[in-house]
Amino acid sequence: MFGKLALRNVKRQIGNYLIYFITVSITVALMFAVNNVIFCEELMAQAESLRELKVGLVAITVFVALIVAFVLGYATSFMLRLRKREFGTYLTLGMTRGNILCVFILETMLLCVAALAVGMLLGMFVYQGLMALVNRLLEMQFSIASYSMEGLLLTVVLVAGVFGLASLTSALYLKRVSIYKLLHGDRIVEKTVRHPFAWLLLALASLAGVIGCCVVFSQQMRLMMTGTGGSAGAMMGSLLVLAVVIVTFHIGLARSLVPLLLRSDAYRCRGTNAFTLRQLSGKLGANAVMAGALAFLLTFAVIGANVSFVQKVSERLTIDKSYPFDVMASLNEQGEMPIPLQEAERIIERYAHIERKLPYCVYRTGDNYLHSFTPWSGEAYAGVEDSILAESDLNRLLDALGEPPVELNGGFLIVADSPQVEGCDFSQATLQLGGKAYSYAGMRTDLPRLDFYYFAAVVPDEAVAGLPLQAECMAYDLAEGKFDAQALWRDLSYTYTSSYYSNGEEITFTSERSDYQIREYGRIMQQGNTAVFVVGALYIAMVFVFLVMAILALKTLSGLSEDRRRYAILFRLGAGPREQSKTLFRQIFTFFLLPFALPLLMSVPTAVICMQIMRLGGFAENMWEVALNAGAIAGVVLVIYALYFTATYLIAKRNFVRDTV
Amino acid sequence: MKEILQVQHVVKYYGSGSVVTKALDDITFSVAQGEFTAIMGASGSGKSTLLNVISTIDRVSAGDIRVEGESLAEMKEDRLSAFRRDKLGFIFQEYNLLDTLTVWENIALPLNLKKVSAAETRREVARVSEALGVGDQLGKFPYELSGGQRQRAACARAIITSPAIVLADEPTGALDSKNSRILMQTFTQMNREMGSTILMVTHDAVVGSYAGRVLFLKDGKIWSEVQRGDRDRQDMYQEILSVMAALGGEADVR
Repeated sequence: MFGKLALRNVKRQIGNYLIYFITVSITVALMFAVNNVIFCEELMAQAESLRELKVGLVAITVFVALIVAFVLGYATSFMLRLRKREFGTYLTLGMTRGNILCVFILETMLLCVAALAVGMLLGMFVYQGLMALVNRLLEMQFSIASYSMEGLLLTVVLVAGVFGLASLTSALYLKRVSIYKLLHGDRIVEKTVRHPFAWLLLALASLAGVIGCCVVFSQQMRLMMTGTGGSAGAMMGSLLVLAVVIVTFHIGLARSLVPLLLRSDAYRCRGTNAFTLRQLSGKLGANAVMAGALAFLLTFAVIGANVSFVQKVSERLTIDKSYPFDVMASLNEQGEMPIPLQEAERIIERYAHIERKLPYCVYRTGDNYLHSFTPWSGEAYAGVEDSILAESDLNRLLDALGEPPVELNGGFLIVADSPQVEGCDFSQATLQLGGKAYSYAGMRTDLPRLDFYYFAAVVPDEAVAGLPLQAECMAYDLAEGKFDAQALWRDLSYTYTSSYYSNGEEITFTSERSDYQIREYGRIMQQGNTAVFVVGALYIAMVFVFLVMAILALKTLSGLSEDRRRYAILFRLGAGPREQSKTLFRQIFTFFLLPFALPLLMSVPTAVICMQIMRLGGFAENMWEVALNAGAIAGVVLVIYALYFTATYLIAKRNFVRDTV
Repeated sequence: MKEILQVQHVVKYYGSGSVVTKALDDITFSVAQGEFTAIMGASGSGKSTLLNVISTIDRVSAGDIRVEGESLAEMKEDRLSAFRRDKLGFIFQEYNLLDTLTVWENIALPLNLKKVSAAETRREVARVSEALGVGDQLGKFPYELSGGQRQRAACARAIITSPAIVLADEPTGALDSKNSRILMQTFTQMNREMGSTILMVTHDAVVGSYAGRVLFLKDGKIWSEVQRGDRDRQDMYQEILSVMAALGGEADVR
């Protein structure tokens, strides 16, 4: 009997909560798709680094599931409160609380199973789309990916857990609430907001806090990237403060905006302004914390999506800069050479034909004169020596890369790959080499990275005569075609044992190391990390955005019966369909806009900070790519917002606005 | 006296096909300016249907209704909204005050819809609310008022725009006898001192006795009419009771 009742209730409710159901299904679809990516064997076989990140990905999906459980718990509880009278009637008819709980849990289970079925069906397509994206990120060829049983099971477990947790609060409420409260507890009691100016002050102070956090984060990041100070703690702190002030800003705004506007007779006496403001007053006042929490989720969705794209863009550029040649050997003259060049070349030839070899050398000066112009000077860096490159060596490499040669004009040039060096002033430096003085001729940070730490000085060929070798290097160009870069790296690597002293005790450790940098291997490793980061961030962002929009829609539509009565009164008082539609539009638009405006505006500082990261990372030319990405992300969020808003408005309009007698 | 409302051969059907109910059957009457008219009858006699078609909330099946000479049957939907806003005042059994608005905002709402200036709105709300005894309740929300106070606030809202006619649907239905009496005194005050034309639907003989004229409906037709003339309220009440008894005792007699 309860099953029948639950089924009928679900059928009756589904019309009202279609938006909720669709959102849950989309969330399940995203979960299913990501879980299948995590357990996709074809992908793992091609990108070994992903296997190591599996645990991290599972953690992300569990974290998202917890957030979904929290949000759905909130949604379920107010869906239940909407039906208080119905449950109260059941109790008066003699049903026990256990019976009602049973009906409610059955209803939730039916919804859960339906959402799971629809979501997984949808997820099968989303998964293929996601795989296409992952393959693109990993620069692999896309083919229809197979589904995994583990992915399916993880989805089922997570969705069951989400619904279980979401129902728990509602079940507890049903267990404790009195019949009287169920029958009469939904009477509206409009409370006047006290001290709206104080709430406005809180909102303004919080807004100042948001701006302050952006400034502090940006400054600390600049200082850290240029090596002139900054602290990761301060950056994390500013993010934490940002989370708090976003919430307090919305609480302050929700509690001050309407009461202050209501104080203006000129404003509230215009048309249905007083009606709209009062409609919002109740909704915003009661949902101030919710608006803050939703804005927080949206903001971090926008930030996460932006940062993931920066990661992707900078990764692509970093690979081009860090690995100018297919393989680069750097054999330290002072240490052992576990795999000498001749042997390495034989190994490389087994994988790909070597088309060109470009030998070059890195020299050392025996002192750290140039380092005295950088942060890496003083006693702690006493053992560090300056690195020197010969002009002809560098120009030969540049020529091979199709780059113009450098010109020294009788001086020396600093080549660097670190933004920390960019801020150093070498203008007073004069290099004394071979009895001749070479003055500073400038700095280049755009050149490919060769074998040096942070920076090296490029000097005329005659200046390196007699200098001791730091490393004998070789750049290799290989024939076009795919080869197993991970196997090549394993063949060119060796086990390195090292030790250090801690509290007077010698600690020995071993690691795999190679003197050969393989571009393809580096690309695979970096792309694996980036793919996980981008997919993770986009997944979280999409789930957050959908959940936020669904909550806003549900909150609006949950007041349907009360609002319908109020709009009927407006109709009787002479507000025509156009006036009613306008009023409803303003009401829903403002309610949707409140938690949405700031996160969308946060795209601007986020884009600025991301552009700064690109500039400091030496990719100034590609800064606008990041800005375009930020615009695209804001556009996608805006489209989702517009879809949910339009759907909500049209459903509400159909229900509220009377246009015929 | 100028005729504010003219109801001419109004017929109203509900339903379709074989299940058709004739709710109003060739009703004709008129209400003059400043008149206080009550419509009484048993449940299902067509009182509320009649009020609904006059208030433009429902359309007639045949016949015509004119308010200040304007035919409602010929009016388009947009014009009807403006008509309700400008010409009609409403008082309902359940007050129909907007629970989210303060009393001041509820009373001012029809003026806001008419785009009256803020200064004039302030003046008018003060004048009407003082006259109807809710001047000291303006900052409160409806839930903070008693039933009688709410209904007086609803009266203030109904007459704030000086409508051609005030339509009241069982205005005392949710009130106790004391508050009913106070409300009817308010109606009398609105009618005599403010010149409001009132058309009220009720099935309570005591309430009906405050009107200057009572129309009795039976099976969708006007069955009888009682004029007060120079008689006092008690006489009017007695006559209403006797008409109701003659109606067949179908109406509730309190």
